[in-house]
Amino acid sequence: MPAAAKPKDITPVMFLPPPLAFGFAHLPMLGWLAAAAVPVVIHLLSRRRYREVSWAAMEYLLAAVRRHKRRMLFEQWLLLAVRTAIIILIVLAAAEPYRRRTALIFAPGENTQRVLVFDGSYSMAYRPAEQSRFDRAKELARQIVENSPQGDAFTLLLMSSPPRAIVAAPTVERAEMLREIESLALPQSVADLPAALTLLEKHLSQARRENPRLARQQVFFLTDLQRITWEPQLAGAALTAFRRRSAAVAERAALVVLDVGQPAAPNLAVAALRAFDLPALQDRQIHFETLLRNFGGQAKSNQPVELLVDGRKVEQKLIDVPPGPETAVDFTYRFIAPGDHAVEIHAPGDALEVDNRRWRIVPVRAALRVLCIDGRPSGGGIQGTADYVSLALAPQPSGVPAPVKVEAAPESALLERELSHYDCVFLCNVAQFTDHEARLLDAYLQAGGNLVILPGDQLKPDRYNRVLGAPQAGKASVEGRWSMVENPRRPTTNDQRPTNPERIRLLPARIDKLVPRDRYRLDPRGYRHPLLSAFRDHGEKALLTTPLFEYFKLDVPKDSSARVALAAAGGDPLIVEETIHRGRVVLLAIPIDEPGTPLPRWPSFLPLIQEILAFCVAGEAEQHNLRVGQPLVVRLPEATVGLDAELQTPDGRLIALTPETSSSAAAWRFTETWQSGIYELRFSDPARGRRLYAVNVNPAEGNLAAVSPDRLRNDVWPGVACTIQTTWQDLDRPGATPSWAAPTGLQVELLYGVLCLLFFETLLAWRFGHHPT
Amino acid sequence: MLPAARYLDPQLLAALHGLPLRARLIVEGYVSGVHRSPFHGFSIEFAEHREYTPGDDLRYLDWKVFGRTDKFYLKQFEEETNLVCYLLLDVSESMTYRNPAARLSKLEYAQSAAAALAYLILHQQDSAGLVAFDDEIRKLVRPSGNPSHLNELFHAMEHSPGGRKTAMGPIFHDLAERFKKRGIVIVLSDLFDDVDGLTAGLKHFRHRRHEVILMHVLDPAELDFPFQRTTLFRGLERHPEALVEPRALRKAYLAEFNAYLRRLKTACRRHRMDYVLLRTDQSLEVVLSTYLASRTRQFAPP
Repeated sequence: MPAAAKPKDITPVMFLPPPLAFGFAHLPMLGWLAAAAVPVVIHLLSRRRYREVSWAAMEYLLAAVRRHKRRMLFEQWLLLAVRTAIIILIVLAAAEPYRRRTALIFAPGENTQRVLVFDGSYSMAYRPAEQSRFDRAKELARQIVENSPQGDAFTLLLMSSPPRAIVAAPTVERAEMLREIESLALPQSVADLPAALTLLEKHLSQARRENPRLARQQVFFLTDLQRITWEPQLAGAALTAFRRRSAAVAERAALVVLDVGQPAAPNLAVAALRAFDLPALQDRQIHFETLLRNFGGQAKSNQPVELLVDGRKVEQKLIDVPPGPETAVDFTYRFIAPGDHAVEIHAPGDALEVDNRRWRIVPVRAALRVLCIDGRPSGGGIQGTADYVSLALAPQPSGVPAPVKVEAAPESALLERELSHYDCVFLCNVAQFTDHEARLLDAYLQAGGNLVILPGDQLKPDRYNRVLGAPQAGKASVEGRWSMVENPRRPTTNDQRPTNPERIRLLPARIDKLVPRDRYRLDPRGYRHPLLSAFRDHGEKALLTTPLFEYFKLDVPKDSSARVALAAAGGDPLIVEETIHRGRVVLLAIPIDEPGTPLPRWPSFLPLIQEILAFCVAGEAEQHNLRVGQPLVVRLPEATVGLDAELQTPDGRLIALTPETSSSAAAWRFTETWQSGIYELRFSDPARGRRLYAVNVNPAEGNLAAVSPDRLRNDVWPGVACTIQTTWQDLDRPGATPSWAAPTGLQVELLYGVLCLLFFETLLAWRFGHHPT
Repeated sequence: MLPAARYLDPQLLAALHGLPLRARLIVEGYVSGVHRSPFHGFSIEFAEHREYTPGDDLRYLDWKVFGRTDKFYLKQFEEETNLVCYLLLDVSESMTYRNPAARLSKLEYAQSAAAALAYLILHQQDSAGLVAFDDEIRKLVRPSGNPSHLNELFHAMEHSPGGRKTAMGPIFHDLAERFKKRGIVIVLSDLFDDVDGLTAGLKHFRHRRHEVILMHVLDPAELDFPFQRTTLFRGLERHPEALVEPRALRKAYLAEFNAYLRRLKTACRRHRMDYVLLRTDQSLEVVLSTYLASRTRQFAPP
């Protein structure tokens, strides 16, 4: 989305710098300034058109001419100047001048503020013929601006998600407004009607307060009345607030809905593109599933569906897509080279091209690197948690290339190793952490790393909760998730007990004491969680046979974003995962190396650990796939000095990004992801390679079904006065559209000037003898 | 229209009838009439003595009686002579001007005035002559008191060639030398000439003891300059043309013209000449009657 989409205040034609600057409401009127030449032309013509007389007293006439020639010339020019000035002042007054002081606009006296609200959902890109719905909306907006009476002011809002004010301050400058309308780009997002009403109410009240001369207000919704926009799924207090706000807006302004949609609008959308077998490894086949949704009433046969990898078409299928439910189409692809790869599905052939494509970025690795922090190194053999985990992650015999490279290390490695080199860190039976270690882990998560916490007999729940930061009821969300890490060094207390540094929370659940030893049963919760999806196909009892005798009780707050993947039969969480910062944290409640825990020796242990790793690393891939409007943030764990980044947008623009740096991290941020497609980030250091990001539209927007006018009046806006029409006509002033607005202060001053000059001209003409004898 | 009818407007003549045209100065004549002799103290016929009273003209004191009686007596003579009137009519090109609103050109107006005066003079048994001139004498009719002389005057007025530039100074000098008998010289002209040369010529008449009456014939447009639109003024008598904005120039023109009139009037007053302004839009009857009435009052016996 271009920078012009930011809310801004149109700058009028400025003739002087503020505070004396002024502009004209009707600039074309200034063309009449050419009429200022009329007195001069008349003067010259009068000298060409004269009468002739024979004259006897010529001697005295010539003497008078000789003596008063210079005076008469001066008088003539003075009169010409005054008459020319009269015409100039009249033209300037007719052009409706207004003063402008900084951001304030002094609009003409009591006029109408017309707020143009463009539907910013991508369904407006529907192009049944030459003209898209958005083009039609622009055409109507132009008509409104061009045909509104002089002195009316305009405001331009874009109903996107979130809604934006393109022209926030009411302006009377039509030319600038028309340019803004012309340059307005469709953001390809969804339209948030409730938020748009909130923004609209704010601007209406602000305009009324700052421009009391705008006595009337009128709001034009230029929309296709798409059902998903105009029937927001609200309930309870949200629905009440929505209706109250709608009524408040209607009370302030006349609402006009200009429908630019078509009654029957079939559409085929690529609703989803999923990748399986993640993380993607070099030379490993990846399975893709794409879902097509036919929103029309008729089936589409032989619909081509193309698979493109890095912009190159690699496969095409012809399928039949019946209306209604989604139709799945499968592809497989083997990536040869490591790095980020752009996968695209294209199903062409309808009037809404935006949702005919869907992208996905697949980061392909040669191998995964895992660091196992062993809280109790065994010194040989397979005895501790780290040993079991290392074996489960890389069960291949030594010498065989493994897709996962595991490094087991003692706790001191947390401080010694560069964590950013690892895709995942397993914390195996670590008793406790220092503040510094917690900060390192926090920075690691911010940079997109993943943590798996495996408890053991050494684990001290209170230390974990305090240092790593356990969630509390009502404060479950991660504070400053997308912000830079702030790690002020707090003074330690006298007893030197470790404390949790501010804003650090690494645990998805609060760790409580061990439950009494007993025989417990597992509840896989229907294998709904992706972490367990691999077990789904192995029968209902794939995990149920795993013996469980004790576990740490985990406390997950109700409003937490943490999800429970596996639970005990009684409901106690056993595996909890949460996305914290930009990484995933998986917390197991089952102590693995307890003597009485048979889990490491059970067949399901190996796939469980590998699925946990796959789930964690797959989260990294999700960071490369965004929705339209979602900020694109890239973090590197170390403070990077002098490293610049350049972002190439889908439309080919290159945008230089400035990093936000702190002592421990650097971030590059781009918020204007209003266009779907591939965004490519390139660092100034070629060693860091390039990063790809896919931005996709919301597939629900592909349903072009519209809300009917009756339904809009009765269900969406019950009791709210509004006019629904497909063409614009000035309803604000029925029957009479005055050509001239009430004069502004500056207009009045100019007209007074005209009066003064007229009087002065009469006086001069009389004084100079220019009056009938 | 016959010449007599053209110039002798019955109304005009009725108004003038009975009004004695008396010369301010008594001129000598060979026909006894109603006029006082200009040679009172020196004429043959002594009338009587009258005792001096303050205010009497000292020129008529009888110094011999004073020597004898030591008292002041005035000598009074009673002698009437015939009047000779010379009508000098300007027929130059500038006299042909007539503004569209006027009924008569300056020349036609002057001819009417001259005809009326001639009729009146001849009707009271006096003599009248005519000189038509521009830059030279175009017509000269010697004075005569014969009533039939009137037709000759009319004919000369109407058929005087002219239309050239005015040059009055040399002509007046020439005529002053030609007019042997003292009389009244009436000049009918727009006097658009060099004021100094004109004045010098008129002074010559005065030097020859003629009474001079300047009848200044002007078109009202020349006096008021009523033009509004841009006008190209084409100069008569070979003056250059000028394109002017009349409304802007009116004041300046009138200032120039009035200055010229003031110089003319001052010269007349200085040399004891009568100045009569004749506007061609004014009734000639009224103007002449008013002037002659004022002369009558001026020369009435005490």
